Parts: sequence; structure tokens; C-alpha cells
Amino acid sequence: MSGSPFFLDEILFIVLPYLAFGIFLLVSIRRYIRETFTFSSLSSQFLENQQHFWGLVPFHYGIITILTGHVIGFLIPREILLWNSHPLRLYVLEIAAFIFGLLTMIGLISIIIRRATVPKIKMVTSWADWVLFGMFVVQILSGLYTAVFHSWGSSWYAAAAVPYLWSLLTLNPDIGAITAMPWMVKLHIVGAYLIIAFFPFTRLVHALVVPNPYLWRKPQVVRWYGIRKSPARPLH
Amino acid sequence: MRPSLLLLLLILFCLTPLAAQETADYFRQNCMSCHTIGGGRLTGPDLKNVTQRKDRDWLIRFMLDPKGMIDAGDPYALELQRDARGSIMPTVVGMNRARAEALLNLIEAESKLEKSQFAGMQISDRPFTPADVEMGKQLFTGARPLMSGGAACISCHNVHGLGALGGGMLAPDLTTVFERYGGRKTLATWLTAPATPTMQNIFKTKPLQADEVLALTAYFQHTLQRSPEDPATARLNFVLIGLGGTLLLLGIFDVAWSRRFRAVRRPLIERKRMEILHEQ
Repeated sequence: MSGSPFFLDEILFIVLPYLAFGIFLLVSIRRYIRETFTFSSLSSQFLENQQHFWGLVPFHYGIITILTGHVIGFLIPREILLWNSHPLRLYVLEIAAFIFGLLTMIGLISIIIRRATVPKIKMVTSWADWVLFGMFVVQILSGLYTAVFHSWGSSWYAAAAVPYLWSLLTLNPDIGAITAMPWMVKLHIVGAYLIIAFFPFTRLVHALVVPNPYLWRKPQVVRWYGIRKSPARPLH
Repeated sequence: MRPSLLLLLLILFCLTPLAAQETADYFRQNCMSCHTIGGGRLTGPDLKNVTQRKDRDWLIRFMLDPKGMIDAGDPYALELQRDARGSIMPTVVGMNRARAEALLNLIEAESKLEKSQFAGMQISDRPFTPADVEMGKQLFTGARPLMSGGAACISCHNVHGLGALGGGMLAPDLTTVFERYGGRKTLATWLTAPATPTMQNIFKTKPLQADEVLALTAYFQHTLQRSPEDPATARLNFVLIGLGGTLLLLGIFDVAWSRRFRAVRRPLIERKRMEILHEQ
């Protein structure tokens, strides 16, 4: 069997995803229990830096939208195909997805530049951060390339890739639709599994503990005390 | 034993059983779109008595890796490719030595029959009408959904003249597929049970209906009058619109955050400093 051209595909598209999800679950849980206080993005000091706005904001709006899009396609592929059944609507969806991909890329570049140039930030940057940045660059570039050169991803993702993902989830892997995909698409899929496997070892875990209640809790007033009581002003 | 190894063994185990009926079904799903047994050539050659034309060992090697044989410059494989107007037989999903042996046995047995069950299917030969072409176009773009729920062709394929951003570019441009596949009978047979790995995976459970095959074949005959598009223009438009949209969105962020915190401590200190300076 090792001579078969499908052997490598079986490793990459059947064994790797199960392995990646296994690592993701076990290590995340272990880290949450044993090293609870490392379960954060660690301070990236975004409160301090104007420059970080152009990294932080585009990156997070971009990546959250793109990931949500992938999840929606996974959950309701038929509805996506229905939406795409008019070329104009297909184009709107594809362009919107491409824009958010570009936003993610711009944000990431800005974040990388900041980490590499601001000495204070460099101090708190680990090797895992740099590996993660590398993985993100590959992942986003392969996604953008696929959007431009292997269109229309929103449709064929729903028609060909989603059934494959479901076949993994239902423990009945069928990689028939994936084996013939262009290598850039395969890179995007494999890259995703690698990021999932690496996820629990990095500051990415902050995505698992987003303080969602902040969205609906009562507003809290934060007062700024300080130099207002300066002797320059008369006290009453 | 590691779970990955277990999984691999499980996969191997699933691929092995080869009952006779299963081999016939396999032939129907994977081979019939391009081959008949005694019905003349389609995209690929008629397989009647193929084991008498070439030795089994060569045939099995070819079935396992058709493209590899062609790339290696095997003269007979190259001749086959020429006969098929340049089409290369796809590497068939699930093909292995045992399966190839079973298929050759099946072909040998079927070749001895007066009329094989694989002699080819009945394809309507009524003349195409403009309505067929229109229906084909609607099926291609998805405006008219495929009966069994398969994805529209535009998801992955382009033909000349589809509109602003064109069709998909994952898979080949189909403008001249009618000619490439050697005309109506061959193309229609192929569409009935598409056998390339990706197409087969999507359409084996959602086959095209006979009238859809006819309409698409009519549409592809119609598009033959044009020549395939250079995809560069559509790509450039797509990228430019995307870049424009991105700049617009960044502008919106800038405006939206003009009254929000972009940073916390530094502006507060800054404001304070200004106040103190002002008071002094």
C-alpha cells in the first residue's frame, strides 16, 4: 500500500486531523487545570500602543469573520449553495470573504512588525509566538491564493470539502474529494490541522476563555483619579 | 498499538473485500463514464478483449498509476493518450492490485458474452434546441438547481462569457469540453457518471438526470463557438475590488474608533497633561 499515491493523503487527511483534535482537547484541558493562570493571551499591551490598533482591530475582525464563515459553511452547506445559485450573490459572498481575509493579513503584518521592532514587546515574545506567526502567514496566504486562483471556494467548500469534514466527524473518513485538490488547497487544510494541534501550547488559548458576559453585563463606571487634586487648584 | 496505526488498518480492511457484484458496481461507478465493453470507444478505448491486446502485468501497472506511466514515457501509454485526444486516465480512488485483478477478470468474462452489460448506455440523439442550450446555461450557473442537489458547475468551472467575474477556477475551463471529449455521445456518457476523483465524489450520490445531461451537452456544444477565456482579467477585477473594499473597511474602522479607546492610559495622561498646562 505504501506505493499508492493515496498513502500520504491518508496520513494528512485522516490520521492528522484526529491526532490534531486529540492533542487540542487533551492539552487544552490539562493546561486549564494545571496552569489556569496561563490561560490568556498574556498581555500584548494593546492598551498602551496606538500602533497596535491597526493590528489588533483588523486582525480580530478579519479572523473572527473568516472562521465564522468556515463554520457556517460546515453547518449549513446546502443553504450556502442556495445563496450562491445566482452569480451576483456568489460574487458578493466571495468578495466579502476575500476582504476579510485581506484585513486579517494586514492586521497580522502589523502585529508582526510591532513584535519585531518594539523592544518592550520583543522581551515578552516567545519562540512559540514566532512559530504561530509563521503558521498564520502560511494559512492566510494559502487562503487568499485559493480565493483568487481556485475560485469559487465558498461553493466547492460546501459541495466537496464539507462532506469530507463531516465524514471525519462521523468517524467514517472519505477523502475522495480531497485527494485531487490542488496542493495549495491541501496546504490550507493541513495548515489548519497543524494550527489546531499547536493551539493549546500558545497564547491562542485566550480564544477559549473570551469573557463573553462583558457583552451583556451592566456597565461599570471607571473613574480616573489622580492629578486633579493638584495643589494648583484650591481645595474647598 | 497507536490509534493512527489502528485507523490505517481499518481503512485497509475496508478496501479489501472484493465480491463479484462489488467489482461490477465498481466498474459501473468508476470506469463506465469513459469505457465500454464491446460498445466502441468513448473517451477511453473499448475494453473488449483488452487482456488479449496487452499483458496483464502491464495493464495492472497502468491501472494503478496511469499518469505515472505516461510521465515515464511508456510508448503504449503515450499511444493511448494520443487516441484519447490527450485525456489522461485519472488515478481511480480505491484502486489497488487486487481490485485491478478483479476488474480484468470481470472484463475477460464480459468480453466473452454476446452483449455485455457494459456495452454502453442509451443516449438520446434528438437534435438540440435553443431551449436545451438555455436550460444548460441555467444549470451551469445554478439559476436552475440540479434535481438531485449537486453543486452547480460554476462552483468550480468556467466557460467563456459568464459575466463580470466568470466561473470557478478550481477545475478546467469547459468552453471547449465538447470537442475535447469527442462529441455528444462521449460527453453525455461521461456526465452520466463522472469519473474524475472530485466529480465522482460529489456526484456519485447526486447523479445528473438524463434531461440535465442532455441540456448541459447542448450548452457545451453551443459554447464551442467561443474560445476559452484568459482568466487573468477576472482575477485582476476580483483582487482590485477586494483591495478597494479592504481600504474602505479600514477607513470605517478609523471613523468608528475616533470616539473610542484606541489606547487607554496614554491618551488619559496626555489629556491630563494638557489640562494642567492649560490651568497653569
